[in-house]
Amino acid sequence: MTKGSPVAVAGVGIISAIGNNVRECLSALENGQAGMDDIAWLDTVYRRKIPVAEVKASNSRLEELAGVGQHIDGPAGGRAGLVSRTALLSLIAAREALDNAAIPELDHWRTGIVSANTVGGMDRTEAFFSRGPRGRLRQVVQHECGYSTEWVADRLGIRHYQTTISTACSSSANAIGFGAKLIRHGILDVVVAGGTDALTKFTLNGFNALMILDSAWCKPFDGERQGLNLGEGAGYLVLVSDAVAATLSARSECVLSGYANANDAYHQTASSPDGRGSWLAMKTALERSGLQPADIDYINLHGTGTQNNDLAEGTAIRRLFEPRYPKMSSTKSFTGHTLGASGGIEAVFSVLAVWHGFVYPNLRFHTPMPELPFVPEIEFIRDVPIRHVMSNSFGFGGNCSSLVFSKCQS
Amino acid sequence: MEYITASCIIRKNSLYRNGRLVWEPPPAGSADFLVSVYQHFGFQYPKFYKMDQLGKLGWLAAELLLSDGLDAADYRPEDIAVVLSNANASLDTDYRFFATVRDIPSPALFVYTLPNIMIGEICIRHQFKGENAFFIFESFDAGFIEAYVRDLMENGKARACVCGWVEVLGDSYTAALYLIEKNLTTLPFTAENMNSLFGTQNTRHD
Repeated sequence: MTKGSPVAVAGVGIISAIGNNVRECLSALENGQAGMDDIAWLDTVYRRKIPVAEVKASNSRLEELAGVGQHIDGPAGGRAGLVSRTALLSLIAAREALDNAAIPELDHWRTGIVSANTVGGMDRTEAFFSRGPRGRLRQVVQHECGYSTEWVADRLGIRHYQTTISTACSSSANAIGFGAKLIRHGILDVVVAGGTDALTKFTLNGFNALMILDSAWCKPFDGERQGLNLGEGAGYLVLVSDAVAATLSARSECVLSGYANANDAYHQTASSPDGRGSWLAMKTALERSGLQPADIDYINLHGTGTQNNDLAEGTAIRRLFEPRYPKMSSTKSFTGHTLGASGGIEAVFSVLAVWHGFVYPNLRFHTPMPELPFVPEIEFIRDVPIRHVMSNSFGFGGNCSSLVFSKCQS
Repeated sequence: MEYITASCIIRKNSLYRNGRLVWEPPPAGSADFLVSVYQHFGFQYPKFYKMDQLGKLGWLAAELLLSDGLDAADYRPEDIAVVLSNANASLDTDYRFFATVRDIPSPALFVYTLPNIMIGEICIRHQFKGENAFFIFESFDAGFIEAYVRDLMENGKARACVCGWVEVLGDSYTAALYLIEKNLTTLPFTAENMNSLFGTQNTRHD
């Protein structure tokens, strides 16, 4: 496996159940405030029965945050109240990421967006069907996964490249890996990469049918974990070429140094018990970074809280890192599992960990897993020297991806 | 140049391999044709019983197609692609799943409510890790399959491919799988030859 050249991260943007932007999310992480609650906005029979981590805003509030008015023009436009929640979340986080990057004369560069999601505009499709045959067909045109990417690209003036990736819960990590390749191969200069997903009845009912939802707040990597909580949100990085990085007034000190995707080839929805796909993804990402396991200071776990994931992921970590384990935690204990957005949201947290020297707590951890020789961090730690962070995202279909972010040598 | 090096057609209670009728179960009393095929050939893969009807049919067709067709030593797992199609996706299982929703939604059925899960079952069984794709057409479009698979094989994305049609809805089921390889100078890989093999079950009973 050859080492790839690192790609600079110039900016980050996020919206999730714990905040509508980077500052709010970091504050919640510091204060140990999880985003789970009774269902407030999703129209479902599971209100007050199944906790989820919703973004704390109605669609009309999200339209305000996204800066879209009553009449949204353009070829991919729609009237206020008709834009999918998936697209609104995407626009809010992607715009924050570009603002954060503050690239001078952005128009002069070849710019693209690689955005992941799993539900597309299905929230609007469900609204359409809830009104029987009288629904408005405008709601259904956003159904397919690529729609939100096009809509956001138009709103942000991104015109050289746009594509959508949908590989279940590893979608966003693969979007970031692919975005880095576009930069590395000289195809683009700036890529907004990450993902978005809104909660829908379809996902809530589907995960409920798989019997992997916790009826209480989830406990990732705990011996008594009962399942996951679903969440929603969006997270994006701005990846830039060296030429663009040189023009930035504040030099970013974080690079994506490695990425790998592998497959378990074991089961439709479950990971193999020994986590062979996750092991292969982590090992290959390390090799591409030119790093040894001991170089990793923090792992942002996939850590869904299901019996199956946490055992498979933990077993793979044991195999790769034994005997010296890095600090690790699952921030899904704050944001819930945001599916297609989770790799983007957790990449944002990983970059912030590199920038600021943070390690995040794994909330509600009490009982070590008997199968594992390590436990996650339970306190927010600041001012730790962090050189390398690994972010894991493992999806249905055995699709496993790992990203490695590193502090650049200045 | 690509060639059809093996084929397997399952339709109307009969089973053809490489254009020859290989088995017909006794006409009356056979409750579940797919299970009777599994038992007749003495397959040993307990997970078969957990699969939905589409998974069972695709798995059986692939088993018969590859049993003496593919020399795994010739290929790396990444070299072998799977490209399948049908008319009704996973609708048969979608109906069965929906029937359980009013009571307790069945996780065992839910995981099969996508047609490409069947491709997963075939890949897990044979350890294929190449390109895979599933397409929906009203009827078997041999021309599309030929163009798609040829493109994969001529652009170095795959060195062998299992392709064809696997369709189940209620009591009706049809499978036509083809193994495509290069430079083996058997039957040339063309839409006409795929259609001809698909059609043989009505005329050939040798």
